[in-house]
Amino acid sequence: MRAEVLKGHLDALLLATLADGPRHGYAIKEALRVGSGGRFDLPTGTVYPALHRLERAGLIGGSWSIVNGRRRRSYQLTAAGRRALGQERSAWQDFSTAVTALLRDAPPRPAAT
Amino acid sequence: MNDLHHPQAAAAVEDYLAKVAAHLTGPAGARGAITDELRDGLLETLETQQAHGRSQSEATAAAIAEFGDPATIAAGFAPELGAVQARRVALALLLTGPLVGLTWIAAAAVNALPPWRHQLIGPWLALPLVGLALVVAAPALGLTVATTGRLGVRLRHRASFPPTAAAVAGLAAVVADLTLLAIISSQALTAPGPSVWAPILVAAGASLTRVILAARAARRCLAARAALT
Repeated sequence: MRAEVLKGHLDALLLATLADGPRHGYAIKEALRVGSGGRFDLPTGTVYPALHRLERAGLIGGSWSIVNGRRRRSYQLTAAGRRALGQERSAWQDFSTAVTALLRDAPPRPAAT
Repeated sequence: MNDLHHPQAAAAVEDYLAKVAAHLTGPAGARGAITDELRDGLLETLETQQAHGRSQSEATAAAIAEFGDPATIAAGFAPELGAVQARRVALALLLTGPLVGLTWIAAAAVNALPPWRHQLIGPWLALPLVGLALVVAAPALGLTVATTGRLGVRLRHRASFPPTAAAVAGLAAVVADLTLLAIISSQALTAPGPSVWAPILVAAGASLTRVILAARAARRCLAARAALT
């Protein structure tokens, strides 16, 4: 699936990958790919800058550690990020319920006479 | 670099990172952090590829392909780097502005220079230019700080706005400092010159330093703006 399709939902999806605990960039990208059954295989160039933007927004916090002899940046949800994720989840629930109701295969209407 | 990797793979990764770095425009620390983060991601991609049975060279090529075109990756970071650069410049100007201003007020007070006596005569007629620069710089700095902070991410604005506003503020500082330096030089050359030189020299030194730094900061902000595609 192309990144443009996800535009507008990427922030919420990134926040969701951190709901269970801290992850680093590659693990976040993989969580999106695996969690979506391979549908959201985003280019790396999209994921990292989006994480930096979320960090500047105070929704996630980044910290450095040394793993396998190299610097690794891991991210975790902040309190504001957790709240934002909750809001995104309920907004999506409302939206998807409405769209599902409208797009559901309805039995064909009786032809007008 | 991780010694788990073959020197050739390590060299290919570093070569790729150097190409990304060449396209990044912004504070050195922020650029270094980006390449460190990407290096970790690349090497982990490489390791995953190897775990799937690919050879070192195949895995390296696949990892680099997965990351994509260096210029495209760098372009993705440009709005963030522009914001970081703009914020840094704006905060530096907000911090140094009052200090430079105070040195000039002290110099004027000690020597009872014309503005201190509420007179704008001779070279001091140019002083309103400093006021005009302040009128331009203050809102530009306020907006830069607002749009690059936490709430700024959620404010709708063009990515080019923060570096542009910070560059405008930097150029306004240059105008203010050059005006003050021209005025005081002119005053020193014409009678009656100031009698207590120390505060004048401190103020002139402060302005001279800031002219250089503010001009460089403005240039960096304009470069960060130009890096936005």
